[in-house]
Amino acid sequence: MGRKKIQPFEFKQCISIIRSTGKKAKNLVELRNIIAKISDESIFHHVHQYFLKGHMLEYTNDFAQWAGESLEERALAERLSSIDPYSLKTIDAVRKQLIKEIDLFLKSFPHPHDVVEGNEFYFNETITIVFPIGVKTKNLAEFLVALKHVDPASIYYHFYDSRVRLGEGIVDDFSRWIEHTLGNKDLADRIRSIDPFMHSIESIREHVTELVEAYVRADMEGFVR
Amino acid sequence: MIKEYSGIAPRGDILLIQKLCEKLRGGRFLHINSTREGGGVAEILQRMIPLLADLGIDARWEVIEGDNKFFEFTKKVHNSLQGTREKIHKEMWDYYYEINRKNAQEIDLRADAVLIHDPQPAPLIDFRPKRKKSIWLWRCHIDISKPVESVWQRLRRYVIKYDAAVFSVPKFAKSLPIDEYIVSPSIDPLSEKNIELTKEEIRNVAEKYNIPLDKPIILQVSRFDKFKDPIGVINAYKIVKKYNDCRLVLAGSPATDDPEGSIILEQVREYAGKDPDIHILLLPPNHHRDINALQRMADVILQKSIREGFGLTVSEAMWKEKPVIGGAVGGIPLQIIHGVTGFVVYSIEGAAFRIRQFLNNPEMARTMGKQAKEYVRNNFLITRQIRDYLSIWYSRKYPGKNVIEL
Repeated sequence: MGRKKIQPFEFKQCISIIRSTGKKAKNLVELRNIIAKISDESIFHHVHQYFLKGHMLEYTNDFAQWAGESLEERALAERLSSIDPYSLKTIDAVRKQLIKEIDLFLKSFPHPHDVVEGNEFYFNETITIVFPIGVKTKNLAEFLVALKHVDPASIYYHFYDSRVRLGEGIVDDFSRWIEHTLGNKDLADRIRSIDPFMHSIESIREHVTELVEAYVRADMEGFVR
Repeated sequence: MIKEYSGIAPRGDILLIQKLCEKLRGGRFLHINSTREGGGVAEILQRMIPLLADLGIDARWEVIEGDNKFFEFTKKVHNSLQGTREKIHKEMWDYYYEINRKNAQEIDLRADAVLIHDPQPAPLIDFRPKRKKSIWLWRCHIDISKPVESVWQRLRRYVIKYDAAVFSVPKFAKSLPIDEYIVSPSIDPLSEKNIELTKEEIRNVAEKYNIPLDKPIILQVSRFDKFKDPIGVINAYKIVKKYNDCRLVLAGSPATDDPEGSIILEQVREYAGKDPDIHILLLPPNHHRDINALQRMADVILQKSIREGFGLTVSEAMWKEKPVIGGAVGGIPLQIIHGVTGFVVYSIEGAAFRIRQFLNNPEMARTMGKQAKEYVRNNFLITRQIRDYLSIWYSRKYPGKNVIEL
């Protein structure tokens, strides 16, 4: 009897080449108007790819960071920072949400001030290059070992980037493979319950590792969960 | 050669460089600048060209030749692009073009990807061989965000003939009708400036420069130039000294192309007075290993510039796990993430306060130093820069695509 061939999980990674759009905003009205028209790639870069930076800063996207640091409008920065790109299904929805928050703020403070020269918001976009890192895993134990050692950019690619890439807005690559290939819906659901917006890449690695480890250990000890 | 970076540079970067070199194998990659030695561009090229050749790329580095008249002119252009007004005669532009034309006759410009560094060789674009598949990129290493407009407009004529331009920092970029990429500069972890040193070597350098290792050392490495604010650094040290015993080391090379340099140095010496804990070191150029040792013996490193290009000395200090305090100018805030990989300051008092914080909280200084090193590892090593150049070259084969799968 031949065993069904398992489609391995292939770890990949991505890097971004930054392109300048040549557009910059020196105050909030200019920022708003450029956000309304700028490419999806630019919004994606400044909001979604912020997670690739490893959550080192106070706010959760470049627009919020600029509002807080350069405009010194903390309330606006907090509101922009609360926009969770991974709960919104499309980039356009993110764009609309950004504009909504800025418009709301401008209603109360209709005369925005300019930042000092050099502190303008510079709109960039990226070209993403995706490449396999030569690691394929066929079962959870192998997957666990790989997960502990891959670069953070690989975790980003499979846990964050996938949500936009797959167009579903809710799913990461890990849980998809675990559910559809390994048939373990329970573990997949547990991984999906991790809120991507609330963690850094390293803490995502920790959480997924913990969940998978529990399964691998139970499996080795002969327990059925 | 790339293997030498294994365990130092991020694995992904090394892997991607190898993969891209496989895809681009045999491709001709030509770099042209105006100096074989001196300056960050030459330092990186010295390392990058053999590394790429080793991975199967036909990498070549050519240097344009010119006389004093030419380089005096390009120096003026350089200063003007950074915002300093210079007297530039119209006919000098013709001479500049003529020298480039002569170089174009001497240099084999045939290649698949050509990277022209800085303004000196920019007109070479006019002599581009008529071969459609090649890409020509103009790589600008300087801050041209606030140029003397007439000079920029003249240079821009050449720039817009390129396929794309590459800038170091988003805010250095200009609005251009061609594609523009952002590639940060980088440091080489294996160069004399940055390589690991033994404790003994560090001690020897301290002895050589008569620096007793008996109290904490605050260091700034920079040219004696008003924009690096050496007087401000001494003032910050004087504030700190009231609370914490420490030494200040100001180390720099004489700036041969800057007549103001010796005046500033005299001012600094005079201002330091007879304080035995202030060490002003004038190092000959290329004493990279000594600078490396000075950075490694320091407890806190400053780059309190009031105007700066990218300021790679900051990354050099960060790579050595040192707590760094930098002025909020040029590329410094891109390297120092305030409160995470160091502190960004706006005043002498701010600098003094942060020095005291570091001296009084060695644990915090250690943590930030470690974070600083990781940040440099992921963002400012030469491997990342090579990766970016290759990625741009490769991505140009797929115009209009935002995601490219290898």
